[in-house]
Amino acid sequence: MPTVRLRDAEEYPVAARALFELSKAWFGHEFSEPPAMSRVMAWDAEFGGPHGRAMKRAMADGEFNRAEKEMVAAVVSGVNACHY
Amino acid sequence: MVGITNALNVVADVTNTSGLLAVVSPVDEKRAEPDLAPIFDDVRAFYARPDIPLPFRIAALDPRYLGDIWQATRRAFDDNRLSRKLKESLAFAVSVTSRSSFGTAFHGGEMRRLGVGTAGILEVLGVTQMFSSYTKIADTLHLDPDMAHMAPIDPSPAPGCP
Repeated sequence: MPTVRLRDAEEYPVAARALFELSKAWFGHEFSEPPAMSRVMAWDAEFGGPHGRAMKRAMADGEFNRAEKEMVAAVVSGVNACHY
Repeated sequence: MVGITNALNVVADVTNTSGLLAVVSPVDEKRAEPDLAPIFDDVRAFYARPDIPLPFRIAALDPRYLGDIWQATRRAFDDNRLSRKLKESLAFAVSVTSRSSFGTAFHGGEMRRLGVGTAGILEVLGVTQMFSSYTKIADTLHLDPDMAHMAPIDPSPAPGCP
C-alpha cells in the first residue's frame, strides 16, 4: 500500500494533467486512471516534467531501439528488486 | 543472463577488493592442467582475447565446476533470439546497477568489441540511470504495480523449451 495518498487525475491542475496525456501517448494505452508513477511525477510538474523528458530521451530509438531499451529497464528493475 | 552475470561479478569483485586472494589463488592460465586447456581455449575464442577473465580462473580451481559454469555462461550469452550484443548490453546494465566494477568494465568492453559505439553505451547508461530513479521512487512510496495489464501475457515457451 502506498505510503502517500495518490491524487486522482482530476485533482491535478490542468497543466499537470497534460503529463497524463503524454503518458497515454508514450505507452500507447488508454489508462482508466493514470499510472501511479505518472501521478507521483505530476505532483511537482517542475520536477516531473524534466524527469519525464530525460526518460523519453533515454528511451528514444538510437543505436538501441525502444524494445531493447525496455529490456534494459526490465533488468535494472529486476536487479533493484522493484516490484512496481 | 542476469543470474549468471551476477554470479561471475560477485566472485570477480570480491577477489579484486577483499581478502579472497589470501584464501585462494586463481589458476595461472599459462600453467593450466591439461583438462582445463579446451575450456580455456573456448573462453579465449568466445571473447576473442588472449587472457582468461578472472571469475573463470577462480572457478578453474575445480575444472568440472568451471566446465559447467562456462557452459551455462556461453549458453546464456550466445546469439539466440536476442543477439549477443544486446545480451552484453543487458549485462552491462546489470553490472552498473549492482555496482560491479568487474562487470561494468568487462561487459562494457564486450559491447565495444561487438560494435556498440560510445553513443550506444551512453544510451544503456541513461536507461539504467533513469530506471534506477523510477525504481527507487516506486519502492520508497510502496507503489502497487498498475501497468502489467498493458500487454497480454505471452504463453509461448522460452527458447529451447518444448
